[in-house]
Amino acid sequence: MKLAFVVQRYGHAINGGAELHARYIAERLARHADVEVLTTCAVDYVSWKNELPEGVDKVNNVPVRRFRVKHERDPIAFGRLSERVFNQAHSIGDELDWLDAEGPTSPGLLDYVGAHASDYDFFIFFSYRYYHAYHGVRAVAPRAILVPTAERDSAVGLSIFKSVFRNVRGLMYNSPEERAMIQAITANQDVPGVVVGVGSEVPANPQPTRFRQKFDIRGPFAVYVGRIDANKGCQELFDFFTAYLEEAAGRLTLVLIGNSLLEIPTHPRIRHLGFLEDVDKFDAMAASELLIMPSYFESLSMVALEAWALGKPVLANAKCDVLKGQCIRSNAGLYYDNQSEFVESLRAIEHNKWVAGSLGKNGRQYFRDYYDWPVIEKKYLDMIDRLSKSSPIRTTEATAGWFERQKVNCPAGADVVAAVPVGPTITQEAYIPRPQTPVSPPVPDRRVTDRSRPFQRDRRHQGRRRTNGRPHSGGHR
Amino acid sequence: MPDFNVRSDSVNVEQIMEQIRARIREKRGADYTEQQIQELAAVKLEKFLDPRGVRSDLLEQFRKAQPPYSPPELPNYAFEDVTVFESHRMPLRLIRKILRPILKLFFNPNPLIQALNIQSRLNTMYAEREARREAARHAFDQLHYEVMHNLVLEATRLGIEVKNLKMRVESLTSRLEFNERRSRALESVVVYKPSPEDRVQPAPARETRVEEPAPVNREAARPATPGGQQPQPEGPGQRSRRRRRRRGRRGGGGAAASLMGGAAGGPATDQAAQGSSAEGAPEPQFTAHVNHETDQSDHDESPDLEQESVGEPDAAGSEPDDHEQ
Repeated sequence: MKLAFVVQRYGHAINGGAELHARYIAERLARHADVEVLTTCAVDYVSWKNELPEGVDKVNNVPVRRFRVKHERDPIAFGRLSERVFNQAHSIGDELDWLDAEGPTSPGLLDYVGAHASDYDFFIFFSYRYYHAYHGVRAVAPRAILVPTAERDSAVGLSIFKSVFRNVRGLMYNSPEERAMIQAITANQDVPGVVVGVGSEVPANPQPTRFRQKFDIRGPFAVYVGRIDANKGCQELFDFFTAYLEEAAGRLTLVLIGNSLLEIPTHPRIRHLGFLEDVDKFDAMAASELLIMPSYFESLSMVALEAWALGKPVLANAKCDVLKGQCIRSNAGLYYDNQSEFVESLRAIEHNKWVAGSLGKNGRQYFRDYYDWPVIEKKYLDMIDRLSKSSPIRTTEATAGWFERQKVNCPAGADVVAAVPVGPTITQEAYIPRPQTPVSPPVPDRRVTDRSRPFQRDRRHQGRRRTNGRPHSGGHR
Repeated sequence: MPDFNVRSDSVNVEQIMEQIRARIREKRGADYTEQQIQELAAVKLEKFLDPRGVRSDLLEQFRKAQPPYSPPELPNYAFEDVTVFESHRMPLRLIRKILRPILKLFFNPNPLIQALNIQSRLNTMYAEREARREAARHAFDQLHYEVMHNLVLEATRLGIEVKNLKMRVESLTSRLEFNERRSRALESVVVYKPSPEDRVQPAPARETRVEEPAPVNREAARPATPGGQQPQPEGPGQRSRRRRRRRGRRGGGGAAASLMGGAAGGPATDQAAQGSSAEGAPEPQFTAHVNHETDQSDHDESPDLEQESVGEPDAAGSEPDDHEQ
């Protein structure tokens, strides 16, 4: 079987959510199929400047074929078109102009996809909103599988993307909330889809002490990992955390990991460490009391999954349906809607070790059940197998003609999204039994040390896990 | 910080969040979410006006003070030098134009035309100024109205908060009173444990009691028992309460003395010890005094009260007295 992964950027140094997602999946499926990545020469997602050489390369033994971007993004034109298509009634032509302005415009990539469609069994496209996904899906719709990575922003309400979501053979959603939103907007319930998400390369033995020594961090702390940006809810996080320090006299320090686009308040209990390597990042998460996710929009928070994989509770922004839904479904995190809830939730996790330990334990179990690599791989392989045995249910919708493109009959993207019901999906995704292949790292045996609570679950678990008279050795499978 | 009341095998995030919200509500009293506050702010002022708390005619007065403005329907027109000679009929206009020099032979219309022209421009200017003023006044009115709206809104919220605080104060007061009563009750049931020395001494005390004229008083007190029956044995709590009351009247001792037993050596114990000595004169007086006060203050006291008073050396609830009853 030969699979092509089509993604806007690809490489070791590219840590964007969807791009990293694509790399992880490509490397994992490369164990089961012949995988090739088709991408652009761009590294920067704002300018799409050609920085990497054109041609075939290898990244972690996965062949990568790069194509040049025709033109860089003009921020002014893109901003003007975004304002028009997101907030005003507009035409299909406006949306196509917006897509072209957004980039990465790479006709070479599309030509290659069209010309070599029959060379691959399936094309797996990442990120619906970019140029390559829209035109690529139209070129090879009967072989297209889409990983939308859609957030609840205005772009998903644009009219041109309805055909993308309806014409692909299969959809690999990141969360039930994402699926519900896309189905509500595009009515593509008949397209085969499954909630998959992505796993993570969590180290087996993170070293909390090493992190504390290296960065001179003392005392309990909450950690935030990601770009420090107002769009990610960081300004609100600073306000709320300052209130926590003033009101509750809490002992937690806030440790920020990531590049900052925002002025960070000067406070001895707010520490910014900048961008860290993965090793340090995981050490930090293992040393922390909890992870805070203040983002308003996420299709899937890999950082939250990593925290859960390490047995740490998560405090998420309830305005993000996906995060809230994950917290509720996993029983592994709390969420806040306002400052009072933030302060009280933080205090609850800080002061109730039993609650924090139970949340972390649930998180680890949730990660193992739904986001461990064997589960993810199985979902992808099952979907590919299912699509291989069936035929496309519909033909590709025709492209709008010139006159059709000029008609101002498309509603503003923001209005379309605003009309979609909000709220987390509470019902749990169907559980798929884990394959027996030992892929994920062993989970350390972390018992709740607070003996004052009359909670006997640990002991019961130990009893249940005994096999052949031997106690289970804490996560080794 | 109190623990969460989660008693299931696994935590339930929604349950925890409910408890967190309940705690926030408890802390803040009437809790408003941001959305509720926005909704409150968007509601018309009339809905918030409480006739009992705010002047019911507040809006009426406001509207009287600020009557609605209607612009005057004054005719205004441009008055130029040819205006008086214009006509929509072309021939007439032509004739007037031809005869205009003849007209000027009779009078000079130019000052009149100029005056009317100036007046016309003044009218336009005043109308524009009036419109601007009216717009500004209207904006200020809106501002005043909004300020008043917000004030009433805040006053209403404060009223709700005050009401909640009053209720909390009442609740706390009642709980405080309950706790005081409870502490008094608990103090009254403190069990006295006699020291070994006290247990050895009861014999002389009984002898002393036999010699004194106390039986008279005992006989006098017994009819107070209903039906003439023998009084029921009392619990240690009642006895210790009586004892404490007596010591309080004698000016010392108190709870500390009763807790420390006869060895405490309080004034009452000293007096009783003195009474049991060979000096017989003061003893009846003391006994009578005690009986008198006892009758006045506590009618349901049992007759053995006096015996206890007499037998004070082994004070506080000595065993022989109990058995005697």
